[in-house]
Amino acid sequence: MRTAAESAETAEPVPWQESLSAWMDGETPGARPEGLSTPAGREAWETYHLIGDVLRNPELARGPSPALRQRLAQAIEAEMTIVAPRRRPLRVGLSGLAVAAAVASVVWMARPYFSAGDGGGEVQVMADAAGADAPALRDYLEAHRQMAGPSAVRQVSFDAGAGR
Amino acid sequence: MARPVAMRWPMVGRAGLAARPGAGMAVLALLAGMAAAPQRAQAAGPQPPDAADDAVVLLARIQQAARKLDYSGVFTYQQGQFIQSSHVVHVIDGTGERERLEVLDGQPREYLRHNDEVQCLIPEKKTVLMEQRRGDRFPGLLLGDPKALSAYYEIRAEDAPHRVAGRECRIVLIEPRDAHRYGYRLCADTETSLLLKAQTLSGAGSVVEQVAFTSLQLGADVQPAQLASGWKTRDWKVQQAEMQPVDLAARGWRVPAPPGFVQVLEVSRTMGGRKPVDQLVLSDGLAAISVFIEPYYDSARSDYQPRGAARRGAINLYGTRIADYWVTVLGEVPGDTLRQLAESTEYVPLAGGR
Repeated sequence: MRTAAESAETAEPVPWQESLSAWMDGETPGARPEGLSTPAGREAWETYHLIGDVLRNPELARGPSPALRQRLAQAIEAEMTIVAPRRRPLRVGLSGLAVAAAVASVVWMARPYFSAGDGGGEVQVMADAAGADAPALRDYLEAHRQMAGPSAVRQVSFDAGAGR
Repeated sequence: MARPVAMRWPMVGRAGLAARPGAGMAVLALLAGMAAAPQRAQAAGPQPPDAADDAVVLLARIQQAARKLDYSGVFTYQQGQFIQSSHVVHVIDGTGERERLEVLDGQPREYLRHNDEVQCLIPEKKTVLMEQRRGDRFPGLLLGDPKALSAYYEIRAEDAPHRVAGRECRIVLIEPRDAHRYGYRLCADTETSLLLKAQTLSGAGSVVEQVAFTSLQLGADVQPAQLASGWKTRDWKVQQAEMQPVDLAARGWRVPAPPGFVQVLEVSRTMGGRKPVDQLVLSDGLAAISVFIEPYYDSARSDYQPRGAARRGAINLYGTRIADYWVTVLGEVPGDTLRQLAESTEYVPLAGGR
């Protein structure tokens, strides 16, 4: 029994973008794909090169966040449902990335405060006693006390930052 | 005399309480040998249908007792080397709840509360700070909806009675089902369900902090005259704590709550005379996490602290920079919970933003 992907591959002609990208990758030597000279063809050419540049740039090769990965996976999933010729999985992935990039242009995340070597286990112990806190820290604690209910407020009292 | 007070949090247990007077002992006995199952619908056999709910009912009773009873007494908070006592008077009158909380050690402080309005008296500055109360304090217990509690905590009562502040109480153990939160050991008055003692337990079972009544009067023994403050505040400055609701998600902030935690509050506020700070509060019903977000100025002013993980008593903190913002996460949860939260928080400036 033939799978859906197989039938899709044999039933439909290869789109011209496919042949363009295959030609760029040197997989179809000689045969310059038709449509490259059209405006749409030129745009596709530039887009593919841009994607390639981005992929090859180590500055941009930072590990994506879990949320970005999830969105990317969803985008790839959505892409897969259109056409998924098994011969060219890489190009499908690139389209997915392009879709994800349209969803979220920049994702900012925390920079860890430890070097790769020390495992990040160090915990700074702040003063326990009343007056010894940095004022800024006291404000946070007081604000937390005010909003965060009983568990936070057992120490109600010695966080005296309010009203300064 | 105890008339219903406006409920800030949804109370699941109320209907059950009203329907079954004196159900407390039945609940205690029932829970003693049984772990509250999170998916009781799938439990086979003759297991009572509402074991998990009953655990929640038990906590809701404790919560109700703190709100509806007249009580006065001294409770003591202890954490590490630190110890401090406070005197609390709580009376229900025709207008609702009135409470006076006076700190007995260190700098004098008083909190006068009428329902949800709190006046914080700061004598050395002759200032009254007016705030809105959010959530209950000791001997109150819950923050937010207790419905989901049994999915993240195993709650069971012990049979053997205990004694705190001269009164008999029942121990309730609240054990976390994962490493994202602390556990608690409570002791609730056998007769009234008022919380007499609460301990916060770390994963190793050691006490992180604890608070307990050392003396307590109930009902008719409470003198309403004790509600009056000794300070003459007529010519004191009055300050309003300013707060506006904000929508951080709409501004591009994605703060992934740890399992079981839900957002209970999102405000923009002033803090200690600085620029406005956004505060997001997450809670799993017992523990709370505050996330503070403020602009980061890359100047000589470098009082952004802590940088990375820090601990202050039972409170863990984690501070970090995300884009041009400084983010401080803190709460009475294990440090790793905060680290994960801080490190997976994302800021995605909206394209074509306003």
